[in-house]
Amino acid sequence: MAGSAAVLPFFGTPDRRQDPADCAATDRSNDGRLIVSNWPEYIDQPDDGYVTTIDQFQKEYGISVSYTADVNDNNEFFAKVVNQLGACEPVNRDMFMLTDWAAARMIQMGWIQPMDPAKVPNLHNNLISSLRDLAWDPDRGYSAPWQAGLTGIAYNKSKVGEVRSYAELLTRADLKGRVTMLTEMRDTMGFMLLKNGADPADFTSEQWGVALEDLRRAANDGQIRAFTGNEYVQDLAAGNIVACEAWSGDVLAAGDPNIEFVVPEEGLMIWADNMLIPNQAAHVANAEKWVDYYYRPDVAAKLAAYVNYICPVVGAQAEMEKIDPELAADPLIFPDDETLAKTHSFMALEEFQMREYEGDFADVTGG
Amino acid sequence: MTHQPQEAVVEPDAVGLGPSGTDPTPPVRVRGRGRLTGYWLMLPGALWLGLFFLVPFYSLIAMSLYDPEGSSLTGYDMTWHVANYVDVIQAYWRPLLRSFWYAALATVACLVLGYVLAYAIVFKAGRWKNLMLILVIAPFFTSFLVRTLSWKLILADDGWIVNSLQFVGILGEEGRLLATPFAVVAGLTYNFLPFMVLPLFASLDKIDYRLIEAAGDLYASPRRAFLRVTLPLSMPGVVAGTLLTFIPAAGDYINSELLGSPNQRMIGNVIQNLFTNQGDYAAAGALSMTLMIVITIGVVLYIRRAGTEDLV
Amino acid sequence: MSLVADDHETAQGRSGSGRDLRLTAVTKSYGTFTAVKSLDLVVPEGSFFALLGPSGCGKTTTLRMVAGLDVPTSGTIALGDREITYDKPYKRPVNTVFQNYALFPHLSIAENVAFGLKRRGVKDTKAKVAEMLELVELGEQGAKKPFQLSGGQQQRVALARALINNPEVLLLDEPLGALDLKLRRGMQIELKRIQTEVGLTFVHVTHDQEEAMTMADTVAVMNAGVIEQMGAPEALYDNPESTFVANFLGQSNLLAGDILGPDGDVVKVSIQGTTVSIPSDRSHADGTRGWVGIRPEKVMIAEVGGEIDAPGNRFEGGVVSDVSFVGVSTQYLVRMPWGQELMVFEQNTGRRPIFAVGTPVDLSWRPEYAFLLDASQDASAGVEDGDD
Repeated sequence: MAGSAAVLPFFGTPDRRQDPADCAATDRSNDGRLIVSNWPEYIDQPDDGYVTTIDQFQKEYGISVSYTADVNDNNEFFAKVVNQLGACEPVNRDMFMLTDWAAARMIQMGWIQPMDPAKVPNLHNNLISSLRDLAWDPDRGYSAPWQAGLTGIAYNKSKVGEVRSYAELLTRADLKGRVTMLTEMRDTMGFMLLKNGADPADFTSEQWGVALEDLRRAANDGQIRAFTGNEYVQDLAAGNIVACEAWSGDVLAAGDPNIEFVVPEEGLMIWADNMLIPNQAAHVANAEKWVDYYYRPDVAAKLAAYVNYICPVVGAQAEMEKIDPELAADPLIFPDDETLAKTHSFMALEEFQMREYEGDFADVTGG
Repeated sequence: MTHQPQEAVVEPDAVGLGPSGTDPTPPVRVRGRGRLTGYWLMLPGALWLGLFFLVPFYSLIAMSLYDPEGSSLTGYDMTWHVANYVDVIQAYWRPLLRSFWYAALATVACLVLGYVLAYAIVFKAGRWKNLMLILVIAPFFTSFLVRTLSWKLILADDGWIVNSLQFVGILGEEGRLLATPFAVVAGLTYNFLPFMVLPLFASLDKIDYRLIEAAGDLYASPRRAFLRVTLPLSMPGVVAGTLLTFIPAAGDYINSELLGSPNQRMIGNVIQNLFTNQGDYAAAGALSMTLMIVITIGVVLYIRRAGTEDLV
Repeated sequence: MSLVADDHETAQGRSGSGRDLRLTAVTKSYGTFTAVKSLDLVVPEGSFFALLGPSGCGKTTTLRMVAGLDVPTSGTIALGDREITYDKPYKRPVNTVFQNYALFPHLSIAENVAFGLKRRGVKDTKAKVAEMLELVELGEQGAKKPFQLSGGQQQRVALARALINNPEVLLLDEPLGALDLKLRRGMQIELKRIQTEVGLTFVHVTHDQEEAMTMADTVAVMNAGVIEQMGAPEALYDNPESTFVANFLGQSNLLAGDILGPDGDVVKVSIQGTTVSIPSDRSHADGTRGWVGIRPEKVMIAEVGGEIDAPGNRFEGGVVSDVSFVGVSTQYLVRMPWGQELMVFEQNTGRRPIFAVGTPVDLSWRPEYAFLLDASQDASAGVEDGDD
């Protein structure tokens, strides 16, 4: 416990990089337990006569799962575990789900255990192509997408004409003061970079500067009303805003026929919440079984039917036909190849870049 | 029953006489076990204060002197980097001033509204006094966040307030209340109003009503009686209320975040962002310390000026 | 004392215009409770008037209505020919000395005293304030705050603060209640002296009958919202018209008797077989029964068959049941054959030794000191416990 005891601040805090190879616990998967931390509303819930995927898993594998939805925010969760993981101590979890950039950060710091590819064949066979070959985990050796999402544009079609691009969103006069953008830097700046002709997956700091200025102008002009978390959905429905940068899952979940999700002309940002096994996890083998299980198309379909985000599993769409044909045809759950071709992901940032870019972004968005 | 001056020493321990030589109050005997009892009794409070105030405070000071290049992952080095303060003020003086400005506006609004309300409760409410007090405190039964969110609904672009103002012509067709300084200050005023009303109420309630009657008896019209008697006697409440309102309002960030736009960013938002999103502990610590120091100096000057008149 | 001289002159000047304080049928009700019942009162200008009564009799309410702090439910209050019933307190030429002084704690003594003048727009108050403080012998204390003064000093400040405005009527609401005995006696003399010098109309509300009788020119005894009797203190004491007044002012022996009828300028009453005479102007009873009242100090006591100085109605068969030596006098309780205990106060002139308990005695009093009260009244009305 020495590492996580309060260190007298006058002596600074230590470097927290670890090596996963040195920091693995002896596997106790024989005791048949698994501890999972996930985002809220990210797994199917029990209902009359409905057997949940988690119940099915428990029965099939004989593993008792302790599932907690205590991941509310990437930064917040980061702060929760940073002391233990930074000191090579267990976090009492075998798995948690974090968004790409947070996952990338942890993998860079060496806090995540690798998954034995032999134990997770379904992952490597069934993962959709646009989620493969990422810069920060090219072989998907450390992370497995749980659900994916698209960031695009949403607008209220009963109040305003179709908004087709960020160029329109940020310059059209009839939208002035009734537009919001997200506080998620990587999504918002991803679009600004695209709008200004750069590639979010690989950009220079000059390109960053140009994109940021564009955003600053839109904010200062009053075009952008506010930078929000996911409260934009209520504002959109209430009429406080008429168009905004939006996450696909929120639009789908809102179920409001007036609210449309649009693929912007500049492109879409795709992101995923990834399953990660931390250092000192006691049940790595069980965690690997979990990953493999959820990459079975039938299970993935069941999950996607409930959760309404993008299913990262090939073959799940066919399974979905049997459960709910309407959902199987929904482009927000099973985007077609044309849409997937337009997706972009954000570059992995070094620590100093992250500080600088988050700081610049915060200056514009107002913290 | 006559009083006679007592002899100088009755018991070996008694020391001194009372002021007029009659019936002295025995002084506190200070010897042996008794001497330390006071300190033992103070111990729990001192521990609590030490653990939950001194330690974090020390930590904050230390943090403000970290090497600004550090991060939560690579660790922070303590390099006595005093230049953090300069950097931070240069970069964020606008939100800092804006915070004080909004807090001042909100405090003045609270003072005006709160004084009227407290006055009404004390002097005009009669048997509704307690009920009105409960109504003032009732919003506290819900969380701060929920209360502020509800203001989002009230001031919504399609809400009745905006519609009424547009109808009357005060707001233009495209006008709105949310995401403006008005909404932020309104939110601050609403959230901190009870902090102003309660001290004012306590101060006004303490005023002996017969003093106001005496003023009237001495040819003071109600207005004069208020200005010359009621108002001066309620000053302790005014001082307390303004302090209790201004200080937390200056550091608030929720109102700005929920009700304002990026142009209304307050220092609290900046500090929050520096801590959580950017992990720039050095700047965050320096900014927090700056805020604390400026407020402390302001408060000390204010109290000196306003006086802490002890009115019996 | 130029201040006093001025006031005396103006007081004289005013008396010509008849600025008496007049209350006519003033009533104050709070819901079902009536505090003051149709009060009629005239306070002559320049007099020291005392409103005397036990707690809750309505005297303070009456005072507040004169001051303007309460509004009568019905009736009128007039100052000379000006009706002030509904005038606000700050519009009336009336000032009050409150029971708790009500000094403004945030102002100095001098500022307190100057308050009324300042509110009326008087510019230069320093000289007047200094004079007034001299009058109440607090000349050096001007810069202090009220809490720094003693009770007696605060009371004098309250008086100065009211007096400086030269009101037509000065109201005093039990101003000496919070002072100790010696100070109270001193202040009573002071107040009377100031009133005589300055010549203002003083209306003094109190429950202390000695205070009222010492200071006032006219006393009105109030009970349960009505004035029972009003007049000079001696007149009230000597010839009370109700059992309440008889018991509240001083003490009385009340003997039940059958009224036999008038006989010339006296009324004959039979008490336990003995017939006594009561002068007609001291008889306030109708009907067949009445209370014969006699003050204890007017009752002569002697041993059985002994000679009584100034003989009058003589009652035999009494037995001394209690003796209290009070220094100046001896107070006897004498049990009469019909069971009643009569009080007898005898001055200790030294002529005769004090009777012991159990001694049989005769009592007598002169008829011109007795008074006759209506039988329907409560004989215990106005008796105060723990009279000192």
